[in-house]
Amino acid sequence: MNMMSDMKSATTCLLEMCDEHFELEDYQSGVPRWCTGCGDNAILAAVQRLCRDESLRPEKTVFVSGIGCSSRFPHYMKTYGFHGIHGRALPVAEGVKMARPDLDVFVNTGDGDCCSIGAAHWIHAIRYNMNLTVFLHDNQIYGLTKKQASPTSPIGTKSNTTPHGSYLEALNPLTVTLGVQNVSFVAQAADWIPEVLFDIVKAAYHHKGLSFVRIIQRCPEWLPKSLDPWMHDPNKVLLLNHANGLQPSAGLSRVYKNQLEHDPLNMDRAREIASNTDIIPVGILYNNPDVPCYEDLRHSDKLRTPDLTRAGLNAELDKYTVWPQGAEQKVA
Amino acid sequence: MEADTQAHVAFFLTGRRPSEHLDAVDGLDLRPALFAGYREISQLRYDFPLVLVADRADRLLVQSLSGLVDDALGVAARGSEGERIRKHVLRLEQEIRMLASGGATGTLSALWATAAGRLAKGMDKSGADKSLEDSLRRARAAIKIDGELADCNAALPARLLQHAWNAVQKQKAENFRKDLDRLVLKLSDILKADYERSEAGRSAEHLKAAVGSGFGDAFDFDAMSRILSKALPKDAFPESRRKRIRELLNVLSVQQFFPSPDAASKKSGAAGHYCFLFDSCADALRAFRERMPKLIELARAIAIAELEIDGQYRESRHDALFEQFGANGLDPQDLAPFPDYLVCVNAEKMQAVEHAQLMEILSSGLPIKVLLQIDDILEQPPNAGGSLSSGMRSRQIANMAIGLNEVYVLQSASSNLYQFRERMLRGLTYRGPALYSVFSGACATASGLPPYLMAAAAMESRAFPAFTYDPSAGPNWASRFYLEANSQVDLDWPIQGFTYEDELHQRVSEDLAFTLVDFVASDRRYARHLARVPREKWNGSMIPVDESLTRERKGLPDKVPSLLMVDADNVLQKVIVDERLIREARRCREMWHSLQELGGVHNSHAEKLLAREKKAWEERMQQEAEAHAAVAPVPAHATAASAGASASAAPAAAAAPEPEPERSPDEAYIETARCSSCNECTQLNGKMFAYDGNKQAYIADINAGTYAQLVEAAESCQVSIIHPGKPRNPKEPGLEELLKRAEPFL
Repeated sequence: MNMMSDMKSATTCLLEMCDEHFELEDYQSGVPRWCTGCGDNAILAAVQRLCRDESLRPEKTVFVSGIGCSSRFPHYMKTYGFHGIHGRALPVAEGVKMARPDLDVFVNTGDGDCCSIGAAHWIHAIRYNMNLTVFLHDNQIYGLTKKQASPTSPIGTKSNTTPHGSYLEALNPLTVTLGVQNVSFVAQAADWIPEVLFDIVKAAYHHKGLSFVRIIQRCPEWLPKSLDPWMHDPNKVLLLNHANGLQPSAGLSRVYKNQLEHDPLNMDRAREIASNTDIIPVGILYNNPDVPCYEDLRHSDKLRTPDLTRAGLNAELDKYTVWPQGAEQKVA
Repeated sequence: MEADTQAHVAFFLTGRRPSEHLDAVDGLDLRPALFAGYREISQLRYDFPLVLVADRADRLLVQSLSGLVDDALGVAARGSEGERIRKHVLRLEQEIRMLASGGATGTLSALWATAAGRLAKGMDKSGADKSLEDSLRRARAAIKIDGELADCNAALPARLLQHAWNAVQKQKAENFRKDLDRLVLKLSDILKADYERSEAGRSAEHLKAAVGSGFGDAFDFDAMSRILSKALPKDAFPESRRKRIRELLNVLSVQQFFPSPDAASKKSGAAGHYCFLFDSCADALRAFRERMPKLIELARAIAIAELEIDGQYRESRHDALFEQFGANGLDPQDLAPFPDYLVCVNAEKMQAVEHAQLMEILSSGLPIKVLLQIDDILEQPPNAGGSLSSGMRSRQIANMAIGLNEVYVLQSASSNLYQFRERMLRGLTYRGPALYSVFSGACATASGLPPYLMAAAAMESRAFPAFTYDPSAGPNWASRFYLEANSQVDLDWPIQGFTYEDELHQRVSEDLAFTLVDFVASDRRYARHLARVPREKWNGSMIPVDESLTRERKGLPDKVPSLLMVDADNVLQKVIVDERLIREARRCREMWHSLQELGGVHNSHAEKLLAREKKAWEERMQQEAEAHAAVAPVPAHATAASAGASASAAPAAAAAPEPEPERSPDEAYIETARCSSCNECTQLNGKMFAYDGNKQAYIADINAGTYAQLVEAAESCQVSIIHPGKPRNPKEPGLEELLKRAEPFL
């Protein structure tokens, strides 16, 4: 482990010698294909701001996604990216992090991708608590496939799969996450409050462990009005503040007067706030920096060189080799 | 450590080098650190060698080999074979460059063939030469021109200028010839018409000869002659006019200023016409004076001939006028069609008399172009113990010529002549004297550097800045004086990035200024002003030369200026410099400053004016602010109570709110901090709405769109942060409805 961390510091040191300054455009790749007015644009802007402010080197940064509108995210970032398969963004990201702990790994997943087909991976990723930053773009609908109800669609949502309105109470990703062992960071943001969104993205990036950020996001195309009550009434948003959490600016406090001081280490209170749905809590619900990360617990002391990888693979494959009679003994 | 510093300071002040602390630089083969990458200059691609294209008098009269090759590759190196062609042709270009720097001369096609042969020999036989042949054939076909190749060496300035001069003179000769032929033809026609009307012209023989042999028997020419003789012209052609025209024809046909077409096709100079190329100012001046009467005669003949052809010549009026023609000399307008003189002199060989002649040429406004070539700007006079001042003399002639106000002046190092080709031509077409002061860089004895590098370094170090002064370009200095060819023209010394590997194999990047001292340090003759500091004795008291130049020295110095240099193995060395060179560098900087001022860079008059205006503006603003503060009422901040807070929520911590900017409801604005970057407004009108550095929208140009668009943007904004204000154009159609729609967003 020591050797690994030494190596990391050496490469970081070499890279830092070239003092580079980035602009937002340096992280922009192509023109987003999202609809005009889509909340994904706000998330992209916040994440690009983070990259710029933290001077993240594009070649040391990876965005991993699954399937859905949100999962087009890596295409628009001029960094490394992995557009994965449906629901499997988290395992891919875990693999990347395990092999290359020196990279900054981000995951962009949607409400369908994470809470439906990828739900099992989601639960276990939280338990593994690897040092990843996960953004759940929750627009409460399947947008890419043109309006089917998702697990987080509010009850009564009319869609192509639920023409009479959905029958079940919506799943609450916050309470689910807060219910899993080893959870270390949970926050909720809303795309229409860019200042808080950015502050949360930043706090999530700086947290060591899996930071889970649910971003409530408008879908102007398929659910244009569904979030209007919250968007147009600032008092239906509860801003969480704390010395160890967010400290909203004076300008923001003028608009969002409904605020609550909440200690992010208080799990019980976090679960209570998270259950609230008529008023949307925005801020850091839970943040515990002391939960160990899986990659730290499981990381080998050996330096992962190409030779080592090849030797390991050969050893595995040799198990299936059909040896000529007697040769097996000799080789062994 | 202390003793080292003391030794360094002592060397700086006295130039004496204690050997236990400092090493001599002789024999170390040091060169400025920034030259490290230019050791093998023929391996690099740069402007040289040049191709001198014949029969062009525009910017294409000289072209760089690499430019031609690039153009050819743009045409020929396409498709799947592009990469192969590119590789081959670039290798050939390098081969030609090596041939040229080795002293080979000839046309581009000749050297191309030689280089191709050498390349083919160097390659292995297995089919490679076939593809090489194909690549070179295709690229050669794309290069449509040919001409002599010229590398950057001692001969270049004269060669290039003569080439340009020849092209300009050839064009001038063609125009002149055309004019002259027209005059001769018309004058001959007048004489011919006169003859036809004379007795002899009406004789039977002449009439018969005019009809020709075919119908010789069909006419009675005697009868015809008799009839014609009776009808004698009433206005007899005056004898004086006939004589005058004959004289004119004589003058025009024997002129020696331009070769006649048949003579030109033979060998110029042989057919008795004048030569205008000189290698001494005195000869040129003498020739000009000797030829003056002939020139006046010819100019006069042309002027009279024009009048004669138009039938405007009146003896009573014009005779007296032309009697005195040219007595006061000719003005540039009259001289313009005649050939210009070209004098190529070398500054080192010039005597004092020659200098005086040069000044006379320049100050007299004669159409004489002078190339003053300087091979060595760091020459050492025998008696002055290493001062640079004598070299200064030849390099400051250009500055003096500028003062004469009507001389076209071009000063440049030869490395920059290609970039200055159009300016060179402009000087040749300028009606008046021109001075080309060119540093060739070819002082091979002084440094081991190739002339191109030496010339470029002189320009870069401000030892020999490039500029032009064109009196015909406009009425003021801003249009006449051009200094921008120098690198980083607004700085004292150009700054270049320099990267090297330190003892720990780490990359170190520094910005180095290239000063006069760097330039001088590459010259072996100045080695005694430098001393190498062994690596273990490097310390903080050694500072870069440019930094030391900016310091005011009071008493004994505690810092010593030092240079970074590299030796033959490209190992970095530090060298300290004595005060004499620093003094020279300071002088060089002062001269550069005065050039900068002429070129409008850091112009002290302008800066003074700016400071004055700025101060006045600030005072005005201050007064306005005070007046405003006295009138404006105190804004009443409404403190709204937190309404509708949920039961579970405590009210917000009472943070002191920062004052909100006062917004008038009439003003259009966006609450940028709340923008969610959703692209609605920017897609509606990308000029009116734009994103800031955080990708949040603001109104970039309120006039770039209509009020209708503002209202539409406000309506479609997902987070309702666009406030359209009041319409700016009261005539916009449908305003009433728009205002109603805008109301919720005001």
